Amino acid sequence: MLKIIVCFKWVIDEADIKVSGKSRELDLSRVAYKISDYDRNAIEEAVRLQEQLGGSVVAVTVGPPTAKQSLKDALSRGPEKAVFVSDPAFDSLEPAQTAAILAEVITKNLEYDLIICGEGSSDLYAQQVGPRLAEKLGIPCATYVEKIIIKDKELIAERKMRDGIEVVSMPLPALVTVMPTINTPRIPSLKQVLGAAKKPVVNLSAKDLEGKYEPCLKTTSLLAATMERKRIKFTDDPQDIRKVVDALLKEGVIS
Amino acid sequence: MPGVWVIAENSNYTLELLSKGLEIANELNEKLVAFSFGNEELANDYISCGADEVFVLPALNRELPFEAYVPLIVAEAKKEMPEAIIVCATQRGTELASRVAAGLNTGLATGCISVRVDKGNLVMERLVFGGAAVQTVICTTRPQMAAIPPGTYEKAQPREDRRGQIKVVAGNVETKVKVVERRKKEQEEIDLTEAKIIVSVGRGFEKQEDISLARELARLLGGEVGCTRPIAEELHWLPEERYMGISGKKVKPDLYIGLGVSGQVQHVTGIRDAKIIMAVNTDENAPIFDAADYGIVGNLYDVVPKLMTEIKAALNK
Ligand SMILES: Cc1cc2nc3c(=O)[nH]c(=O)nc-3n(C[C@H](O)[C@H](O)[C@H](O)COP(=O)(O)OP(=O)(O)OC[C@H]3O[C@@H](n4cnc5c(N)ncnc54)[C@H](O)[C@@H]3O)c2cc1C
Repeated sequence: MLKIIVCFKWVIDEADIKVSGKSRELDLSRVAYKISDYDRNAIEEAVRLQEQLGGSVVAVTVGPPTAKQSLKDALSRGPEKAVFVSDPAFDSLEPAQTAAILAEVITKNLEYDLIICGEGSSDLYAQQVGPRLAEKLGIPCATYVEKIIIKDKELIAERKMRDGIEVVSMPLPALVTVMPTINTPRIPSLKQVLGAAKKPVVNLSAKDLEGKYEPCLKTTSLLAATMERKRIKFTDDPQDIRKVVDALLKEGVIS
Repeated sequence: MPGVWVIAENSNYTLELLSKGLEIANELNEKLVAFSFGNEELANDYISCGADEVFVLPALNRELPFEAYVPLIVAEAKKEMPEAIIVCATQRGTELASRVAAGLNTGLATGCISVRVDKGNLVMERLVFGGAAVQTVICTTRPQMAAIPPGTYEKAQPREDRRGQIKVVAGNVETKVKVVERRKKEQEEIDLTEAKIIVSVGRGFEKQEDISLARELARLLGGEVGCTRPIAEELHWLPEERYMGISGKKVKPDLYIGLGVSGQVQHVTGIRDAKIIMAVNTDENAPIFDAADYGIVGNLYDVVPKLMTEIKAALNK
């Protein structure tokens, strides 16, 4: 029986970010939130392993109180329990803090054989929380994993590297961070969505933590990455298309 | 003198970091330290390329992964207390850097697109929100750490007159993680980052065979075919080396032509440096039109043949 912990983050949907005027400032006033993309793969993988091998899946997230909305979404994807560590100060944690908080919460509250994280979050994409957490817990880890096989108390993972695939093995307990190519997350059924509300959630706050987790990084600016483009639109009629070809010739980009 | 350390999984990447490391070490007024893994000969190369000191770590058994060095590097850093550690952000490098940072309770900025020094701090820029924004960070703890992707800097050049020290670091390399197999990737024969014209295939294509349409257009223009991530990673219609974006290739062609590409920020981030962007999409509200110089609202199956006719006429082909 495998005890699995899956960590996820509730993030801004980057597709909703607007830029305010010419200032390059980000306008976040109308953004929706989502479970970070690769964390959906992490949850899916945890649930698939549980389906294959039996055991349990607990989903853990650290964030501001508004991230409460994420719990139902996460639980509808299959885990049977969630742990929600929240505080208004957890609004813009940097990876060193998130990993240290997770390490304390997991050590004190949860048993595990395997911890699964996404390779990186779709907002900061620091790729640090998984390996930092493994280091804090003193367990082996494999990052950038595309395939997981578990045999007895051994984990075999295929890591996708720049230069090819590296297959590694390690004893459990262990931590893996998964790539989006590892699986295709299922869409929760209506029954699962309804059932999620009834699943248990353990709520913890900063007061329940012993450690003081100060940031090691300071953000000094956050600006839109803008691009100057002409943004001229044409229709599909041949005359318009000829205009586009003429423009490309004039720009000197085709010859 | 605590030093600026550069760490990379192979010698080419170490040389790239040495050229940036030299600049950073000068500005911080620190010595520059490079790491050589089980190879004393390389240590001399690193010295002639700017390292004041090279730490030579024991060679790895073949079944051990590069990250097995984490405990040794952490122990060494606790003794020497370097001012800054710069790591080449391959996947292995990023894992190693994260774990070293955790072991030292210090901050790390990964995926840096630029690093400079200001008042003793590394000022590090990185992309966030899928490339929609640039975050600038500094590290408030020491050592300050940055992970910078390979290919960001030119390799440092050797100079005869440089001298430095070699320090052999002894110790056991131990880890519970064993490598059981390595499957090398076949190299693609083309390098999309060098292409002058790229015709990009998006999910607007209905079938794999239809990519021939993009190929014909590319051939007519003397360009290459590239794609979005789902075409490569999900549908496997084209090799991974051909997809562009924040997690794929960053390209800089004179002309990028997106066909059936929606233009999500993660893709657009890879084509920001294109001189001209042109796009064909049926949806007039597709985000690609905000990123394009010339947009044609229409069905690619109808527009591409017409476009080829016009190009042939204009270029007398
Ligand atoms: C963390 C993260 C990293 C990512 N990294 C990358 C990356 O590096 N590169 C990347 O490409 N993506 C990346 N993605 C995925 C990205 O968000 C988009 O999902 C992807 O780029 C969309 O690909 P597409 O444009 O081919 O498909 P779609 O978004 O499905 O768009 C298809 C488009 O084709 C149009 N269309 C349909 N039929 C026709 C027709 N007959 N003629 C003309 N137009 C037609 C549609 O209007 C639509 O706009 C990443 C995502 C995440 C979460």
